[in-house]
Amino acid sequence: MAAATTTELIPGLAPGRQTLGRTVIKWITSTDHKTIGYLYLISSFLFFCIGGLMALLIRAELFEPGIQLVQSKEQYNQLFTMHGTVMLLLFATPLFAGFANVIMPLQIGAPDVAFPRLNMFAYWLYLFGGLITVAGFLTPQGAASFGWFAYAPLSTTTYSPGLGGDLWVFGLALAGFGTILGAVNFITTIITMRAPGMTMFRMPIFTWNTLITSLLVLMAFPPLAAALFALGADRRLGAQIFNPENGGAILWQHLFWFFGHPEVYIIALPFFGIVSEILPVFSRKPIFGYNGLVYATIAIAALSVTVWAHHMYVTGAVMLPFFAFMTMLIAVPTGVKFFNWIGTLWRGKLTFETPMLWSIGFLVTFLFGGLTGIILSSPALDFQLSDSYFVVAHFHYVVFGTVVFAMFAGFYFWWPKMTGRMLSERLGKWHFWLLFIGFHTTFLIQHWLGVEGMPRRYADYMPQEGFTWENQVSTIGAFILAASTLPFLWNVYVTWRKAPKVTVDDPWGYGRSLEWATSCPPPRHNFASLPRIRSESPAFDLHHPEVVAMEHPDYARDRGVLENIYGEADRRGQETQAQQRAAGDGGESGQSSTTIVDTPDEGTSK
Amino acid sequence: MKIESRLFLWGTPFFVLAGVVYGFMTDWAEPVGYLGMPLVGGLVAMIGAYLALTARRIDARPEDDPNGNIEDAAGDQGVYAPWSWWPLAIASSAAICFLGLAVGWWVLYIGFCVAIIALVGWVFEYSRGIHSH
Repeated sequence: MAAATTTELIPGLAPGRQTLGRTVIKWITSTDHKTIGYLYLISSFLFFCIGGLMALLIRAELFEPGIQLVQSKEQYNQLFTMHGTVMLLLFATPLFAGFANVIMPLQIGAPDVAFPRLNMFAYWLYLFGGLITVAGFLTPQGAASFGWFAYAPLSTTTYSPGLGGDLWVFGLALAGFGTILGAVNFITTIITMRAPGMTMFRMPIFTWNTLITSLLVLMAFPPLAAALFALGADRRLGAQIFNPENGGAILWQHLFWFFGHPEVYIIALPFFGIVSEILPVFSRKPIFGYNGLVYATIAIAALSVTVWAHHMYVTGAVMLPFFAFMTMLIAVPTGVKFFNWIGTLWRGKLTFETPMLWSIGFLVTFLFGGLTGIILSSPALDFQLSDSYFVVAHFHYVVFGTVVFAMFAGFYFWWPKMTGRMLSERLGKWHFWLLFIGFHTTFLIQHWLGVEGMPRRYADYMPQEGFTWENQVSTIGAFILAASTLPFLWNVYVTWRKAPKVTVDDPWGYGRSLEWATSCPPPRHNFASLPRIRSESPAFDLHHPEVVAMEHPDYARDRGVLENIYGEADRRGQETQAQQRAAGDGGESGQSSTTIVDTPDEGTSK
Repeated sequence: MKIESRLFLWGTPFFVLAGVVYGFMTDWAEPVGYLGMPLVGGLVAMIGAYLALTARRIDARPEDDPNGNIEDAAGDQGVYAPWSWWPLAIASSAAICFLGLAVGWWVLYIGFCVAIIALVGWVFEYSRGIHSH
């Protein structure tokens, strides 16, 4: 593919190299969706590292019986509470906002998000809320220690006095408002700012999943805000909302999990979307069953609001058949997704660059977590396994499998688009295999630990319980897992200093969605020119018209009901366009991007 | 706009139905479920109805046209803030307020005063100075 053919001088843009102070000010006052997205990605990755260090402390403490590392069991409680809080609400959720911010407007051909200042406001709410939450560690009594789901009455001032708990409640409430505002912004952007021709059923799957996830955020986060404010009123104003005498203990669990279960899908769906973007590119095939994938996502989102109390089976206060049935029902659309992903790989021309490797790591890991989820959805089995390490293993397979594997897949995949430089494949493969081995060593064994009866959240166990060697395996795995981050950080540093600039729009060669039809990194408002959109793969249509002209001879004959449910995306007009382009009279160049020459804005400023 | 509004509207019957079924099965004993689910239905109904009503009011949009060309949406894309200090200001004041809820009321008073300034700045940013419209 040829390098960019045109150069254009646009006055008034910030220069590429600036003094540190100017750069800092440019970033903290930015309203550019890409910069805000990078801020989200960087902040959430830092929180990921903090949460990871806490996990290492927890695993080190459990290496052998007895209390060796932490000074008290209270400290241990703080560690697992903040580990869960940081990983779910300060890492995974904002990571969604980060990827959605950077990629989604590019994928729909928009110049920015609908509300740029609101976007930055949402980011700051998340950052400050997160800092307030973890600031508990700086207080004399330490951070919150009542578990990340803060069951009442344990989370009341009677049982958990101290500033740490208050900071946790109000910090999360603040960060939650950031998440809600971000979701409003994404929904508005997707509904109102798509490029002409980008109909709903031509949107890339990642954009679809961003839309559905944002919808779920609107459903789930307001109940969390309500619950947190009520808990805050109990703690700070002496209200009695979650007093057990009024049924407050169960009320909190209902309110919390009414948020908490959709939250699992809020952090899963966008990462399904990332994987759905990567698999077609490295299989050289369009996504299989596009419509089915979209409807499966909608079905998962709708069902996820009706299953919250499967976290509460053992309270004995919930309707078991209802929640067991609904929970098992969710396995169906999730299975449809697996079917589509495998169908995409099936008979494709597969290559295994790092993004693909991470995506397959995701498929393996998440499949395992999904299967243990079906086990846990059966109340008879859940009563045995609840609050044991089996549950710990299950949800780490689910959330680590989706969030972390797909996060790294997305990082390696979109790194050239974000930074203009490719990450090293060799280091990426080291990173992947170290992490894959470390992760499965850590968590596979925990299934058996749980079955044998080791409860979660205990700081200690006895030598005669026979848990020692299993815990040691798990701890060693955890340290391998942590060590795998080092090649990644080295990769980022080395390629930042040494790697050559990417000069083409699509360094992977087979990119499909619209972000691959602009330069790496994209200019301030994203596109110097947009290609015509006639399918869900406008960049592929642009770069490989001869393949498209050959590939799908028979679209737009009668589409039956079934094809509308599980068939392919809206490709009306794609074939004609491909033939025109292949014949060279489309009036568009294959390399659409313009290299923007940025100069200092001296003389053009007012 | 049809698909957008249906995406929201078609959730309503599902959530209401799930809420009613759940209510019957639990003998209306557990309020979060039989209230929460229909209320979620109400939430999506409001958004969907708004989109459906708006769609009736506006012309067909080029992004809904399968044969739409990029030039169909030529012209102004809207007004974008090139950069802004106010998100930082207003979020800092919100953070001080929330910190005040946890730490002590005096912090809240400070945060409230800063918040008023930040709110005025945010709202009137494009009504004064070189960017006023």
